[in-house]
Amino acid sequence: MGLFAPWFLAGLAALAVPFYVHLLRRHTTTPRPFASLMFFERRTQSSIKHRRLRYLLLLSLRALLFLLLALAFANPFIRRSAANMGGEKLVLLVIDNSFSMRAGTRLADARREALSVLASRRPTDHAQVMALGTGLQVLTQSSLDAGALRAAVDNLQPGDSRASYAELARAVRSLAGAVSTPIELHFFSDMQKSAMPANFSELALPANVSLVLHPVSKSADPNWTVESVNGPGQVWDPKKTRVQAVVAGFGTLAATRTVSLVVNGKTSATRTVDVPANGRATVEFPSLDVPYGFTRCEVRIDSADAFPADDVSLFAVERSDPRRALFVSDAADSRSPLYFKSALASTAEAAFTLDTVSAGQASGMPLSKYAFVVLSDLISVPASFESDLLKYVQGGGSVWVAEGAAAAHSARVPVFGGSVLESRYYSRTSDLFLNVGETDPSYPSVANTGRWAGVKFYFAVRVDPGDARVVARLSDQTPLLVEKKIGEGRVLLFASGLDNITNDFPLHPIFVPFVEQTALYLSGTERRSGSRAVDSYLELRNSKEQSVGVEVIDPDGHRPLSLKEATTAQTYQLTRAGFYELKLADGRHDVIGVNPDRRESNLEVIPDETLALWRGNSGTGAQQAAAQGSAEEQSRPYSLWWYIMILVFAAAIAESLLADRYLVAQQQEDL
Amino acid sequence: MLQRFLDPSVLAGISGLDLVAKTVVDGFVAGLHRSPDFGFSQEFAEYRAYTPGDDLRHVDWNVFARTERAYLKRYRGETNSILTVLLDASNSMKFSSHSASKMDYARFTAASLFYLAIHNQRDAAGLIVFDDEIRSYIRPSTRQGQLHRLLAGLEQAEPRARTDFAKPLDHFQQFLRRRGMVIFISDFYDSPEHIVRTIEPLRFHGNEVILFHVLDPKEIRPDFREPATLVDLETEDHIEITPEYVRDDYRKKFDAHVEALRDKARGAGMGYHLLTTDRPLDDALREYLSIRQGRD
Repeated sequence: MGLFAPWFLAGLAALAVPFYVHLLRRHTTTPRPFASLMFFERRTQSSIKHRRLRYLLLLSLRALLFLLLALAFANPFIRRSAANMGGEKLVLLVIDNSFSMRAGTRLADARREALSVLASRRPTDHAQVMALGTGLQVLTQSSLDAGALRAAVDNLQPGDSRASYAELARAVRSLAGAVSTPIELHFFSDMQKSAMPANFSELALPANVSLVLHPVSKSADPNWTVESVNGPGQVWDPKKTRVQAVVAGFGTLAATRTVSLVVNGKTSATRTVDVPANGRATVEFPSLDVPYGFTRCEVRIDSADAFPADDVSLFAVERSDPRRALFVSDAADSRSPLYFKSALASTAEAAFTLDTVSAGQASGMPLSKYAFVVLSDLISVPASFESDLLKYVQGGGSVWVAEGAAAAHSARVPVFGGSVLESRYYSRTSDLFLNVGETDPSYPSVANTGRWAGVKFYFAVRVDPGDARVVARLSDQTPLLVEKKIGEGRVLLFASGLDNITNDFPLHPIFVPFVEQTALYLSGTERRSGSRAVDSYLELRNSKEQSVGVEVIDPDGHRPLSLKEATTAQTYQLTRAGFYELKLADGRHDVIGVNPDRRESNLEVIPDETLALWRGNSGTGAQQAAAQGSAEEQSRPYSLWWYIMILVFAAAIAESLLADRYLVAQQQEDL
Repeated sequence: MLQRFLDPSVLAGISGLDLVAKTVVDGFVAGLHRSPDFGFSQEFAEYRAYTPGDDLRHVDWNVFARTERAYLKRYRGETNSILTVLLDASNSMKFSSHSASKMDYARFTAASLFYLAIHNQRDAAGLIVFDDEIRSYIRPSTRQGQLHRLLAGLEQAEPRARTDFAKPLDHFQQFLRRRGMVIFISDFYDSPEHIVRTIEPLRFHGNEVILFHVLDPKEIRPDFREPATLVDLETEDHIEITPEYVRDDYRKKFDAHVEALRDKARGAGMGYHLLTTDRPLDDALREYLSIRQGRD
């Protein structure tokens, strides 16, 4: 027998209270006046004796009450062997079905051991089966039904998720708080080191949980994997499309591996790469010859190891014709079309055919065939053309307005609508130039371009942004990049020019991704397809696309979303590796390749010392095995708190009744 | 109906002693009308032939007119008496177990006696208040306002100090030179021998001495169900007592004390009357009238 909180025994000092009340305090009663004491004799001793006798039972009850209260706070327990605990134990079987359990016979071994534990448990022991994958998945409720428990173990399939032992501990802690019985946790896993949390304390388990570990892998198997693939999501020119793959070896010796690029199930290219011992190597495929539409691609290696499931990395690409964009500039302006066109042409994905015209030529052109329109530093915009642009924007089109030195002569910004408050030539002031002061990283155009460090702006117009969204500001707080919604479309104002006169932005490398991302954003074709990781979430709709049906087809060809979910779900978690087909709320179709987390490919196991520490047992592996074998013989603390509280309740009621009786009697005497 | 006003607990609710005395005596007298054994000074007693020297005011001229002989009309109680009340005002008289303390009861008794003596009997009445010495003395008189003075003396008689009969005795002797009635009102917490020996000399002057032993019923029969600490009202001594002792030994001792005092008082030719504060006051008045009648 022991105490969980022995320091609360200090509360036993409260036992002095009833003794004080019964013996000492009652002797300090107020003397009663009497006419004369000439007929009395002192009888002090008999007085105390009399009091003790009369209230002994009440004193005992009160002392017992204090004793029990102190004990209840100290929370005593007795050690009972598992065999003596009858049906008051929950045997919790957690089987790791993460991606790494596909290696070799790990999952089969885990299932076999779990069945063995189920068979050896006493029939009166409740048991529950769970799987550790994305989270802790409940396969059965707490049950005595051996058949159902065995079936749950037998039917457990390997998953593609990444295991997290911290998640296991957190879920078990939550479960232990909900059940009153002790839990015997049997964990069947390959004890992968990469599943351990950074902080060991996250693995802590409650006192009423005893952990029995069943490692199905004793050592780290060498394993090669395609760690990552850098491929395009969209292809316009197959000859300009490159695919890079990183091949990694975990616990491997130096070797030469063959890497294949497979397109729609057919190997289109093969490379060999020398992978250093326990290292990485990069292989590149210079072209990706895919047909129009969506294509399912994969990079595969011949690993010849025990874990073939991670020898492939999936990605999907969409090939389409380049889209057309209209670039309107003054005839005298030759710089901005050059820089813009060069930047747009040098990107791999943002394939646009740029039509460059003057403002006069642009009037009357059908704008609907263009993905977006750029107005670059126009001195004036014909009214009919501006009217067409407004209609184009309100119908969902996008216009990019760049206000260079020439455009500053106008009092207002075309299409955008705001008036030009001021034109600033920083080169003529003591400042000489300004840098970008702040950017909004959530905006697609600047998300991957850093903070435009080093870009010098010599000229900018200052426009009142009003309700528009300011994406970037110069260091003097002049709005530099402002987006305004008009109708269904948007207008993006760049408060400087796209040439190298008003700034040196076109000369910086980040000008290319800026132009690419902005073009993709304005054209509504942001990066898609490509690949994702298992357990990541896919955004199905934005806030304006509520109640619009979406469609998800998983790698098995099933539709995992119900009709209700298809119209309400905001996101979808990708739990399986393979190709997902999507029909999003905006009507676009998409295909994505989903790959398991490559940390699962590192099969290094947790050291025995760490496992012993987790189990709360510092013994050796042999002792651990012995301990596991004799799990039924282990003794566990069994709290007596509830029983003591029941006694406290009973003693309190008895004390109240008895004290009430004495109190009434005393009042009658006083009367 | 008026008998109800003889109850001490009812009298305790009356503020003025004069009203208390009037209430008690009127109620008492109303009760006496049914008794043939007692009379008053206004009642006719006999005719006596006139002898020279008799006061002509007492000649019954109606009889003289009819018979031409002079007769004197005599009334009962025509012989005036002197009543002196000695009131114990020691601290022990403060004790009470109900609304009226022993001191209250003693005051009511004395006031009633004074009222009866002065108002009804035309007797002279005086008061001596004492504890361990004489605290106030109002000499017996029939003068106008005597009753008021006596009642005022009673009002001022607050309990204090201890009882000591021996010390004030010498003063009693000089105050009580005329023959009359002497009534001691006290709880007599002293040895009976000492009390009687101290008071007995008063008897030698021809006084009728009566002891009114005033006790609270809880003094005679204390009711303790559990041990308690008692404090003496006079000495302020503390003592712890047990219910068993009170139930057995105390009662025996107290009964023996009362018995001894009664026997010794009567043996010394003094009257003794035990008055408990829960009893009506008519016992005391009846005793007074009984002795008063015997003296005529």
